[in-house]
Amino acid sequence: MNTVNEKVNKTAEKGVDNRKVFAYRVGIRFIRSIAVAFWVTVIAFTLIRLAPGDPAQARLGAAAEPEAVEALRKQLGLDVNPLEQFFNFFRGLIKGDMGISLQFDREVTDIIFTALPVTLWLIGFSVLISIFVAIPIALFVATSNNVLIAYIFRSTTAISIALPNFFIALLGILIFSIRYNWAPLLGYTPSFPENLKYLWLPALVNATTLVAILSRVLYSSISDTLKEEFVETGVIRGIKRPRFFWFYILKPSLAPTVVLLSYIMGVMLGTTIIMESIFALPGIGTELITAVISRDYPTVQGITFIFGIIVVFFSFFGDLMAYWLDRRVKF
Amino acid sequence: MSNSALVDIDSLQISVRLSRTRRLKIVDYASMKINPGEMIGLIGESGSGKTMLCRALIGTLRRRDAYISGGSVMFDGMDLATAKNDVWRQVRGKRIGYVPQSALAGPNPVLTIEAQLLESLGGDETLSRADAKKRAKELLDIVQIRRPDIVMKQYPNQLSGGMKQRVMIACAIALQPELIVADEPTTGLDVTVQAEIMKLLKEIRDQFNTAIILVSHDLPLINDVCDQITVMHAGATVENIASAEIEKSKHPYTIALYKSRIDLAPPRGELITIAGQPPAVGAWQTGCRFNQRCDFVTDACLIGEHPKYIELSATHQTACINHAGIEAKIGSSL
Repeated sequence: MNTVNEKVNKTAEKGVDNRKVFAYRVGIRFIRSIAVAFWVTVIAFTLIRLAPGDPAQARLGAAAEPEAVEALRKQLGLDVNPLEQFFNFFRGLIKGDMGISLQFDREVTDIIFTALPVTLWLIGFSVLISIFVAIPIALFVATSNNVLIAYIFRSTTAISIALPNFFIALLGILIFSIRYNWAPLLGYTPSFPENLKYLWLPALVNATTLVAILSRVLYSSISDTLKEEFVETGVIRGIKRPRFFWFYILKPSLAPTVVLLSYIMGVMLGTTIIMESIFALPGIGTELITAVISRDYPTVQGITFIFGIIVVFFSFFGDLMAYWLDRRVKF
Repeated sequence: MSNSALVDIDSLQISVRLSRTRRLKIVDYASMKINPGEMIGLIGESGSGKTMLCRALIGTLRRRDAYISGGSVMFDGMDLATAKNDVWRQVRGKRIGYVPQSALAGPNPVLTIEAQLLESLGGDETLSRADAKKRAKELLDIVQIRRPDIVMKQYPNQLSGGMKQRVMIACAIALQPELIVADEPTTGLDVTVQAEIMKLLKEIRDQFNTAIILVSHDLPLINDVCDQITVMHAGATVENIASAEIEKSKHPYTIALYKSRIDLAPPRGELITIAGQPPAVGAWQTGCRFNQRCDFVTDACLIGEHPKYIELSATHQTACINHAGIEAKIGSSL
């Protein structure tokens, strides 16, 4: 064969060890994720100490004797310099010990273990609802090719994004809790599936914004995909309906939405605090706010560390999933 | 000759829906005949309706909100202009293959090459999965892709543009169609790879006696590989001529296209261009649509409908009403 062909076919050889290359990339990403989590911890550790106020003083009150405050500082391990404090914290972290809350005399890990699942359930449930609603909507609007439907879609999603979550939450309570008594006003049970009884309304409220954002992004990706040449080849090949929708429309369009969703899920860790306080859910956001207010160093450090881990894990997983869906995505 | 034609497009009109009430005619009067095993080049400027004509042949006009508003597209005795979905299912992919416009966007990015070849072979229900896999590998051999086992497992983004287009050709010939519609198959490829792809298409024609419509705006390229050339301008076919006789063209547009060939220009000399712009799509003037740019325009060219084909010989039709006058004027200048 001629030289051009040889050159062209060389590209094929490069991809021989696909799996190895992929495993290598995953490994790199994993190490990088750990590094990010570490820096998040460092920043959280520093920032809370830069904030004015003293945990010992906060605990004993403004009228406390200076000697008593000093004694408590020593007891809490705050008398040594910050660098040493950090090493102490980090040493404990490796052993799985995040210290004791200055405020409640409880293990920080214990606080996280009871509060985090509430928030994760809420996020998971909201995301699940949004995915199941957003995908059909985006698919329908993008393929309908109808100006009026697209207009209604755009205006409704705009309204839904613009409306503040807490407003929708209050509306939800007014309708579903007070008028029809379908949802409990407040409270929580940690066991599944009883907890869904308490979670469905906050999750639904959370999902209203999420559905709007996700379906908009997905709608524009699908519209772009539909203009692509390969969709034409799918028609020529006579692909049957469900397969066509998945492999020729949805799968090539999903990657940006998946990446965005993984990012939003990380952000939601912090923003669900609004839902948690409106619906009186004992979630991690509530714990973090109380800890920050009372300068509860170990709790703030512990929770931000976990947040860092989770955010990094979410985006790692989102990128991995986007790559799995669509090989054009760089990983 | 017309009895044996595989494809007979006659006075085809294609319109596009702009809104609920507005329609725009984008192809008006396109006629073309393709014989079995014939390689025919379709050439014209952007917006001349080449791609739409191709879509009419593969039945994907509706996806672009376009439809056939007049004329007929006969394929082996069936009128594709009025064909329903069940007819298309029997024809599309099975008897008419398609090689898409852009090599880079042609293959589905989320499917492996193997999956796409198997999909293309899917129209043949008698083929078992194991046989289909074997056949898929044979197809890659036919389009001269080396190491087919490796390529089969790869995704399109791992292949070069030339390889992608080879894969698309493999998909198009999967079920041994009688006709392949290749809509600018070499757009975005290196010149050397372009030549390779053209050679490959020609080999496929010779090997399987497949008729091929090759769309391009590159006249020398088309002239090299095709038996017959059809020239489109402003939504109409203006001349159909055997490529060996291209120098005996009787249409001013074809002559102008031929003269503006880059390879005919002197080194570092001035390039010859066609004066003026093609008329805006659908906003066509009365008379011949080339009359604003034509050097040989007469009063008769300015009135009435766009001229229909005038049969000069079995392999030569021209839409220039003044073809005799042109010949007298340019004489042997070509």
